Amino acid sequence: MIDKKNLIRFGLILILILILTILNTTMGKYEIRVLNLAGIYIILGLSLNVINGFTGLFSLGHAGFMAIGAYTSSLLTMSALQKESNFFAEPIVPWLANVQIGFLPALLMGGIIAAILGALIAAPILKLTDDYLAIATLGFSEIIRVIFTNTQSLTNGALGIKGLTRFTTIHYTWGIAILTVLFMFSLRRSSYGKALMAIREDQTAAEAMGIDLFKHKLLAFTIGSFFAGIGGGLLAHLMGTIDPLMFRFLLTFNVLLIVVLGGIGSITGTAISAVVVTVMLEWLRFLDGVIDLGFMTIQGIPGLRMVLFSLLLMMVIIFKQKGLMGRDEITLDSLGGFLGRFKKKEA
Amino acid sequence: MKKVTFLLVLVLILSLALTACSAPAAEAPAGEEPAAEEPAAETEEVVFGVFEPLTGAYAAGGAMELEGIELAQELYPEVLGMPIRVVVVDNKSDKVESANAATKLVDQEKVNVVLGSWGSSFSMAAGPIVEEAGVPAIGTSCTNPLVTLGNDYYFRVTFIDSFQGVVMANYAYDVLGAEKVVIVQDISNDYAVGLAKFFKDEFVRLTGDEESIMSIANYNTGDQDFSAQLTNIKAMNPDAIFAPGGYSETAMLVKQAKELGLEAPFLGGDAWEAAEFLEIGGDAVNGVVFSTFFDAAAPLTPESEIFINAYREKYGEDPASVTALAYDAYILAIDAIERAGSTDPEAIRDALAETVGFDGAAGVVTLDANGDAIKNAVIKTVENGEFTYLTTISPK
Repeated sequence: MIDKKNLIRFGLILILILILTILNTTMGKYEIRVLNLAGIYIILGLSLNVINGFTGLFSLGHAGFMAIGAYTSSLLTMSALQKESNFFAEPIVPWLANVQIGFLPALLMGGIIAAILGALIAAPILKLTDDYLAIATLGFSEIIRVIFTNTQSLTNGALGIKGLTRFTTIHYTWGIAILTVLFMFSLRRSSYGKALMAIREDQTAAEAMGIDLFKHKLLAFTIGSFFAGIGGGLLAHLMGTIDPLMFRFLLTFNVLLIVVLGGIGSITGTAISAVVVTVMLEWLRFLDGVIDLGFMTIQGIPGLRMVLFSLLLMMVIIFKQKGLMGRDEITLDSLGGFLGRFKKKEA
Repeated sequence: MKKVTFLLVLVLILSLALTACSAPAAEAPAGEEPAAEEPAAETEEVVFGVFEPLTGAYAAGGAMELEGIELAQELYPEVLGMPIRVVVVDNKSDKVESANAATKLVDQEKVNVVLGSWGSSFSMAAGPIVEEAGVPAIGTSCTNPLVTLGNDYYFRVTFIDSFQGVVMANYAYDVLGAEKVVIVQDISNDYAVGLAKFFKDEFVRLTGDEESIMSIANYNTGDQDFSAQLTNIKAMNPDAIFAPGGYSETAMLVKQAKELGLEAPFLGGDAWEAAEFLEIGGDAVNGVVFSTFFDAAAPLTPESEIFINAYREKYGEDPASVTALAYDAYILAIDAIERAGSTDPEAIRDALAETVGFDGAAGVVTLDANGDAIKNAVIKTVENGEFTYLTTISPK
């Protein structure tokens, strides 16, 4: 029975890959870019979901971890020549000047460094709960950004880095996104995942049951930061340029919005809302331009897009307070049950 | 309840799949087929793509530049006998959105030229996209040297920090006779960091003394209290202080310096030229000297007069300098198309690269090998709470 289900899952993933491959060859650059962003936001949303959704810790430090991943991987993929032309104001530190490795190992390094720093940052502040933790993590992410602004010989400071080879393709973004989804499902099914959720439901009860709070919270933070670092690296190599201002807390809110909209704690919900938010934001662009309704034309007002987008968000939150999916998931069982009900009705 | 959830999600997924699939399908007949059937349709209009921060933190800057482009379009609605259509997209003061916006312009709108953006960071995000698509872009007020560096398709009408830094270093050395200078820079502002770097290089070259820059002090955008940096500077007793940064921080910086009894003159860049600088600084900013490129009171070219008069007529006030730059970007694009005699993006790029002595509203523009504008600098000071013209310096 399990084998059959896994086979179906495998088949579904194959179909998704097939669809993506077809889209990759038929779509224009603009649509591909949006699709890439959607994939990256799935990774970022899921990484925040581990901390905020599974474990119930309210972290607002995501942009900082993304910045670490983005800068680490960018500095590792740049050639010596690129570094020299970028660091015209202050030369780069000698030990980094000639380092250049491939994209995948660089991404991985970005993730690992982000994970290590995430763990280091989380360790002293995990005693805090709720709002206090949120403020502390927000502070840390801003500190990371300010450090990156001031270490000119390491990050080129406010001038930013440009001319990164744009390695990021659909294969990387969606490949890693699919792997992340699978990892999140298996994490949640594991004893670690169950412990994380126990902490979310009732910290005291979880501790009484013998769950090491510190260890598990740290684990959640480390995993979250790791995937945030990977996402940051992918974003940097999609853009081809990064600077510290890119990683303001607004970026954290973008990711948080995806998690809340999808349903805090829901893996499929987060993935769906990542795609919905990214595509909607771009699709709504027509509102900013001239709208031709056939019988009349409306002169677009710049910014109308954001107004409508915010309105839609408010509607979702008012009518579905737990996000699109709540804590539910789309699984084979629920999908089967759903289709089954239709069959019964037809019969 | 559960059923409703499922339905909602299903509808969302379906609609998503539909938009994702239908978008390219709808695009193909619109974009490609008419070109094959009636090639004349393609050349009937020229499309200028503009991406600016119209929402978000820098919306004010984007709005000022858009005014300039709109004004230019009213005055010059045609090129080579074809109407110009301006497509404006918002980059939300966000780097990621900026890249999306630029991709939309070159990929979907098939623009001939891209104009923008306020903020170097946003222009840098668009850089690789216009380069890959082979569409030339004209930067308006982006001053970071990295915007055009190594990118054959990005040009700009504003002068860059290197020239401005050199001008101010020369002013400090020749006019003020300064030997020892302290730099106070906004480290989180790319414009200030670039300016400080070029000032330092030139001043060290002029004096031949590595120690002539006594110290470089840093602060961050949004800082309010500069007493720590200023106390240190006072102890060093410099001949002049070069303080590139935004107008609100530097106005406070200068004010606090005067309160501490620091007498050394302050030098800066074009970002100071804002009414807020005078309001915040009050009496304390009298006597500061800065370089800029535009003065509404003293038109630089015949085009400046046309621009200033048209602007006053439409808006009833004097234009900001970035508005003039945006206006210049637009008319430079027209000029390049006319010189190329074609609306082909590659031809426009080649014509742009050869721009020499172009009369813009904000000065005469000559583009160098990097695609950066070489233009005169205007030195201004503050007298009795008003910006006053001092002199014009030509690039060597």
